[in-house]
Amino acid sequence: MTLGMPSVPLTVLVLIGVGSPTLLLAALGAASMVNRPLPERWTGLLAASSMAVACAALLVAFAVYGITRPGTQLLSYGAWSTSHEGGIAIEFLVDRLSLAFAALSTAIAGVVSAFSSRYLHRESGYNRYFVLLAMFVVGMLLVALAGNVAVLFMGWELVGLSSALLVGFFHERPAAVSNAFRVISVYRISDAALLSAAVLLRHVAGTGSLSLLFGGSAASATTLSATNATFIAVLLIVAVGCKSALLPVSSWLPRAMEGPTPSSAVYYGSLSIHAGCFLLLRAAPLLEQAPAARLLAGVLGATTAVFAGITTRVQSDVKSSLAYASLTQVGLIVVEIAIGWYTIAFIHLAGHACFRLLQFLSAPNVLHDLHGLEEAMRDHSPAGRRTWTILMSDRARHRLFLLALERGFLDSTLDRIVVEPFHRGARLLARVDEWLCGAVLPSRRPAPSDGGDRDE
Amino acid sequence: MNEALVWLAALVALPGVVIISSFLRIGAEPLRRLAVTSAIAMVVASLLVVISPPLRNFSIQTSLLTSMPGGEEVIRVDTLSAALLPFTAGLWLLTVAVTPRASLDRRGMRRTALATLITLASFLTESAVVLLALSLVSVWTFLAALSDPAHRHQRRVVAVYLGVSTLLFAIGVAMLVSPGVQNTTLETVALWCIVVAALMRKGIVPFHAWVPEVFDHGRLGPAILFNAPQVGAYITVVLIVPRASAEMLRIIALLALGTAVYGAALALVQTSARRACGYLFMSQSALVMAGLDCTSVTALAGGLLVWLSAGLAFAGLARCVLVLEARRGRLDLTTYHGGYERMPVLAISFLAMGLACTGFPGTLGFVGQELLVDGAVDMFPVMGFAVVIASALTGLAVLRMYFSLFCGRPEALAHPSLRLGLQPREAWTFVALVTVLIGLGIAPRPLVDSRFDASEEILRLRRERISHQLPGGPSRSPKVHASLVR
Repeated sequence: MTLGMPSVPLTVLVLIGVGSPTLLLAALGAASMVNRPLPERWTGLLAASSMAVACAALLVAFAVYGITRPGTQLLSYGAWSTSHEGGIAIEFLVDRLSLAFAALSTAIAGVVSAFSSRYLHRESGYNRYFVLLAMFVVGMLLVALAGNVAVLFMGWELVGLSSALLVGFFHERPAAVSNAFRVISVYRISDAALLSAAVLLRHVAGTGSLSLLFGGSAASATTLSATNATFIAVLLIVAVGCKSALLPVSSWLPRAMEGPTPSSAVYYGSLSIHAGCFLLLRAAPLLEQAPAARLLAGVLGATTAVFAGITTRVQSDVKSSLAYASLTQVGLIVVEIAIGWYTIAFIHLAGHACFRLLQFLSAPNVLHDLHGLEEAMRDHSPAGRRTWTILMSDRARHRLFLLALERGFLDSTLDRIVVEPFHRGARLLARVDEWLCGAVLPSRRPAPSDGGDRDE
Repeated sequence: MNEALVWLAALVALPGVVIISSFLRIGAEPLRRLAVTSAIAMVVASLLVVISPPLRNFSIQTSLLTSMPGGEEVIRVDTLSAALLPFTAGLWLLTVAVTPRASLDRRGMRRTALATLITLASFLTESAVVLLALSLVSVWTFLAALSDPAHRHQRRVVAVYLGVSTLLFAIGVAMLVSPGVQNTTLETVALWCIVVAALMRKGIVPFHAWVPEVFDHGRLGPAILFNAPQVGAYITVVLIVPRASAEMLRIIALLALGTAVYGAALALVQTSARRACGYLFMSQSALVMAGLDCTSVTALAGGLLVWLSAGLAFAGLARCVLVLEARRGRLDLTTYHGGYERMPVLAISFLAMGLACTGFPGTLGFVGQELLVDGAVDMFPVMGFAVVIASALTGLAVLRMYFSLFCGRPEALAHPSLRLGLQPREAWTFVALVTVLIGLGIAPRPLVDSRFDASEEILRLRRERISHQLPGGPSRSPKVHASLVR
């Protein structure tokens, strides 16, 4: 990939696009920090105008890019550090794909922001919601435009944290909080996989620049051997799989529905769940060098699509059903990327994000109109013999139904093979530590009573 | 030179005033006000030292305490130590400003000021003998804080671990300053003694068991003040890094990386908030140690940055736990305690400081960890992966604590008139600390540049010492030379 000379209008427009939600985050975050939240009206107005400015700037940038066709550009906005051995630069890689996804993200966030300002009227966490939404938008923009691994990782982490905190938005409900922890646990695996890919990239190629991964140039082909490319691609697929709820970690997705409906819409209906697909699209040149990783992505995508397609049919609440329906499409998008249909994959991604957003946002109204889910199912349940009844025996269908109803038993399986052994091992080590101290003085005095410890 | 001496005297005098005042008949609350004022003045004065080049290039050399030709700098302010001065002052300010009123007494305030003075003096010297003397006093101060009968067990545990550490340090220093020890096996033995002493003091596996014990069942306040400045890291930078062989540094780094992952994993499954803090501290402190033992400028600069960010963030996090304990008693992590709505500032501060510990984007920790991974990955790729795993686990541990301590249905108040919110003094201290961590995370350039300068200086010293050693050394091959210099 040849990087063109940075164009001044693009540099300014992208700065406005990213800067606007960043300023919103700073303003609302500072108000929350000192416990002086702005009035609802101001918060809503600020959020909507900030998203509108960002969206307009990025749309104009997209248009300018389309008209001038300057080629892929690496826009630099300074650095956090520089040294002769490397440094952390604030760089954005701008091309048609990144600008389109960034503009789409701000447009969707703007719609959700306008919807939320009414939906969450008089909710006690109103300001907190908009802080997290702003954090999410900044994160998505950084993921979309990242020019190096540090910026990409920043975005990835911001999206993950805001997502988990919004799942636990109604934090007085224990279920919401424990589900938020579950979600962030999977996201941390995603973060670790992404950062490991970056570490490996730096080790084998000596750079953290994403133009090497996303470029598909002769330079990248020669720098990365097939084995290295495969390892990095597999780590990226793990990161994407966790972020986009592909098998075998899909079970966090219905848990994430505990958050407010607008946040479910923007995260698990339209944007966050597609962030992984977008990263795969960006990394398509790398995937082309790693056929085994590509096959892995295809298999994961296809199995996830089939699993989610079946599971969505038996869910007993609208949000879970929609979440699995989203996952079906995400699986298909991953398959399209694995096959190499990049343009179709992006169109599918953008179309699906908008369509699912609409479905999620209208779900509360549908429920209200139909006076609850049971009535909704009674009125819309399929009648007569369907394909499944012809193809499968009653017993097989019953088993498939149970499997879908229990969401593939993924939660309990992961608990059994990952969480419990980890807990057992760590507790054993903790007991060894306590024993080591006990060996110094076997008779332990009771711990100080509640609040009785005087600490200076 | 005189001006620098005056500034240093002023810095030392500020905690000195509090120590002297604590012997007078002053109530605990007025003494706290004096301590807070002194700490603020110390922060401002030390920041002036940082930004003023003539003040931060000052040293007093003597050959009284060493056999090294040319002597050593018994008092010095350089790029490395300049940034550690406001760091120490900040920790003191945090301690005196957020100590709950019920826990306030004159002896405690005196001990806090004395601990600050010892830390400050430690960061102002490169003399092994002076560092040993200060180390002895600081361990004694820490033991004095555990002198009540309720903490007898912890006192004994600390006495055993830190006693052995100080003894080894003393043996190592005695051998190191003896005449004719350079380039001999004795110097290697001396260095190993100092290395083990530093590892014990920093709670690196397998010398770590005292840390979670003292955090959990000991007194959290003194434990924070003793551990957060990480004097063990300073001993490593000043005494070990310039002299140790590449193999020695590699072994230390591997132990430290193992500890970083171990501490983070164990923090995740603890049922006590205090014990989880202990393991978090182990993990963070080990990351600093791993960075310091890399002979790459970038990784070393990253380690120096993580030292500052993790020290401040961790101290703030643990102080949040203490503030909560003052209102709720001992904190159990197996249930949800609620209380976000009552103390949103504390909840947000806790989360922000916890995330700064984990190197979350937008905080100073992010830049430090990025540099650490960036610099170490070429020569030591396993470090990159270990930092990634430790960071992921630490993040989870912090979020688990946050969810448990601030989310869920709030516990009923004993009486409706009871107020559990933060005092303005506490709230503003936490807000200021978070602002520093985020501000330096967004605009870290001056601090990062100064850490690069310090890192280059340390490695230059190392190169000079090794190239000095080689001609007189016992038949070292060019291959050994290359490995040492690297």
